[in-house]
Amino acid sequence: MRDVIVIGAGGGGPVVAKELAAKGLDVLLLEAGPRHAKPREEWSTFEEDANNPLTGYFRLGPTDRSKPAWYREWPQNSFVWQLSGVGGTTQHFYGNYPRAYPGVFAGYEGADRNEYDVNHRFPFSYGEMVPYFEWVEAIMPVQTAAMGTKEQLFFKGAETMGLPVQTTKTTVKASYRPQENAILQPGGTAGRTADKNLLNYPQATGCTFCGYCFQGCMRPKGAPRNQYAKRSTDNSYVPMALTAEVWSRGGKPAELIADAYVTRVHTETRQGVLTASGVTWRDNVTGDEHREDARVVVMSGGCTENPRLWFNSGLPNPNGWVGRGYTDHFFDWMIGSFDDYTGNPKGVGSSARLDYPPYGGLENVGLPPALNAFAGTLSDSGIRGQYKNGRGQTGPWDGPAGRVMGPELKELVAGGIDKLLTVLVITDDDVEAQNRVTTSALPADENGPIPKVTFQQRKRTKRTLKNREFMARKAAELLRGAGAKKVYRIDWAPLILHVQSSMRMGASEHNSVLDPTGETRAVKGLFVADNSALSNGLGGPNPTLTSQALATRTAENIFTKYFGGDPWVRTSAPVVSTDPRISVRLGELGL
Amino acid sequence: MAEPRNLSRRVFLARIGVLGAALGGGGLLTRGLLNPADAATNPLLPPAVDLVRPVLAALARDTLNGLTAFALPGPDQYSRTQRASSSTPGALDAGATDFMINALDNFVPFPDALAQPISAALVTGLADSGVNLPGLEVLPAELRSLDQAFAAVLQSDEAIPLSFPIAGLLNLMATQVNPAAVNGPHLSPFARLTYAEKARAFELIEKTDSDLVALLDVQFPEPLKASVSGLLKFVGGALIEFATFGAYSEYGVLDRSTKTLRRRPVGWTLTGYQPDGPVEGWDDFIGYYQGRKEVHD
Repeated sequence: MRDVIVIGAGGGGPVVAKELAAKGLDVLLLEAGPRHAKPREEWSTFEEDANNPLTGYFRLGPTDRSKPAWYREWPQNSFVWQLSGVGGTTQHFYGNYPRAYPGVFAGYEGADRNEYDVNHRFPFSYGEMVPYFEWVEAIMPVQTAAMGTKEQLFFKGAETMGLPVQTTKTTVKASYRPQENAILQPGGTAGRTADKNLLNYPQATGCTFCGYCFQGCMRPKGAPRNQYAKRSTDNSYVPMALTAEVWSRGGKPAELIADAYVTRVHTETRQGVLTASGVTWRDNVTGDEHREDARVVVMSGGCTENPRLWFNSGLPNPNGWVGRGYTDHFFDWMIGSFDDYTGNPKGVGSSARLDYPPYGGLENVGLPPALNAFAGTLSDSGIRGQYKNGRGQTGPWDGPAGRVMGPELKELVAGGIDKLLTVLVITDDDVEAQNRVTTSALPADENGPIPKVTFQQRKRTKRTLKNREFMARKAAELLRGAGAKKVYRIDWAPLILHVQSSMRMGASEHNSVLDPTGETRAVKGLFVADNSALSNGLGGPNPTLTSQALATRTAENIFTKYFGGDPWVRTSAPVVSTDPRISVRLGELGL
Repeated sequence: MAEPRNLSRRVFLARIGVLGAALGGGGLLTRGLLNPADAATNPLLPPAVDLVRPVLAALARDTLNGLTAFALPGPDQYSRTQRASSSTPGALDAGATDFMINALDNFVPFPDALAQPISAALVTGLADSGVNLPGLEVLPAELRSLDQAFAAVLQSDEAIPLSFPIAGLLNLMATQVNPAAVNGPHLSPFARLTYAEKARAFELIEKTDSDLVALLDVQFPEPLKASVSGLLKFVGGALIEFATFGAYSEYGVLDRSTKTLRRRPVGWTLTGYQPDGPVEGWDDFIGYYQGRKEVHD
């Protein structure tokens, strides 16, 4: 009998595991995918090796890469970029840690208060969230991003748009700025040389500008795991959870088991109340099933897997909202072509942003060749110059929106991939019941019926569609301002990469799965702590910080309600995840 | 009244490419091999099913050559046939067709329970399209033998290589766009299309109310029926995106055991990426915007 079982070691689960391990609870952290304990041996810098969604080390599948990935049903042109493995999608993220816009929280009184997704706000105020934001920001740590050539160019464009520079953590109006990110700032030789021999830790500390965020951060070479530049949870929260005894008085290290696919959450009725009692997981390697009981179970498998596990466990869904309300920021993609060097594939993938509440935002994204090609060909608007698939929007970009592919793509990159600047268009998108996870009618896999992710991208709300068009125009304006000779709009088919709110927390029992404490309304002792718990799409900011802040708050609620403890976030100071005590202990553990 | 049935079978098999690949001019099988009289009297001939498998594989490869050349044209014959070629290396030089076949046949975790009926739908479906297909005369006996061989392949316990139904889909659409594509250079109708015709074939696949979806859905019971419709919309996009990813990736030159490159990838040459190979870092740190290293509320 454990105190707490956490299902999933992605962006959210390790937060709960670390916080409760620090309080001395007995925590079991189960991860369905691989644990990359030795990245220098297991990883590389190649897109095919890392990012091939079928065979790469960053895929949705078991550790054994000779086995197929896990199949998921997407009944539309789309791509749901799920990752299994310790770290989850933070393994390939860019470390962006903006706070959610205040307008998405209850009690917001700004002049634009009616312009947000007013029916699906967080059930508490922005002010209540701030201490949790600050807690996570101190742990990672979150810092102001260093600037490379592509950021300088992005700012050059932003400077032509008549917007102020944001110099606070909180976003209060349309503005631009360097990202606040969970990337250690460059120190020593980092960012100042391309000579491999000069880029070993500790001569180099923090970000070396290698440009391989999406292939996994294992730099500077020779650094302890918890001092790699990018603060994915496998480099930050997980090491803290596994070493809790050395940095927290009374802490007890969490136990982590990888390749452990949870197939069922068990419940029992206690005094007439349906209560979680434990889980069953399946060992990917042996196929053996294991069962373990716990006082509290936390689902952190992500926006697609949590609903699946819920359905496959036969848990009640009285208001029908399990899996519904999935938000994805309805991205779009804009490519600017320049005469001069842009630095596109170098440095952190995305270190500059423009926020535009209540419409969404923009950020630059540097990509290597194959991902750049993928990004240019994922479209709901056909192929430029050939067909439009009923769309092909025109505007301040060149020609109709659509795939840049074949001869046109070849010509576009022929000048050099470092003469492109690409901008991600982020939409403040509404929670909609129709965008959802259900159980697929396709054959089950070894872990049970598989999830089906449905997005009705052409039938989204008027506000969502309007916001996307607004931000696409702003992206074109920015690229023109930066000096782009040509601007291409792709009109992405849903690329489901920022995922939120499929198990949403809400004030109303009619359209939420979680109550305002993070506990499921239908099953006591069962909590959800990851992006799926978010109440909405946050207005557009990248979700990790808000998700981890909310998971911290949920961990406090678990500790106070089920273990008789006191909250700690407002009364104590956090330990930073780069703490040398953690490094030393990781060394002793061979990690 | 076997003749109308045979006619429509002939048309359909021609349209998905297998008839031409097996028996057409330059086809991979000599007609005698499928002649039931010969097969009955010559014990040295392998069963038709063993003859058909390599035909399907060759047809799939040829079709996917047509696809990858569409994604990234080069100096090859497939690019020339589509009348969009280029003097610099393309997808075929990058090994993108192998990338697609390996992915489809070995790694797309697509349930065989679905691949099997889709494949069956593609070879057993009746194409009442009114499309006239020139130049394929097949004797009913040969057609019957070919049909029986397909049935045997589809009913065997071996997983259907996913590249086969994908190729069938592309070829079916190819002959919808240009009926004359049943004959010509290469083995597959899709590879015979011009660039614009290939685009038109994808337009048909992506179209929400595609006739193809209706045609194939007929073969499936609910609730699978709705899934197949959605799946085809996904496949239309994914084929383009993955072929392009593969063409620009290191697939063809990556030594997986040593995690090193045997040669410079085509995608890197075309884009000027990593001129000196993989790095540990770059000297691209300029400073902090407006000199600001931290912010507070």
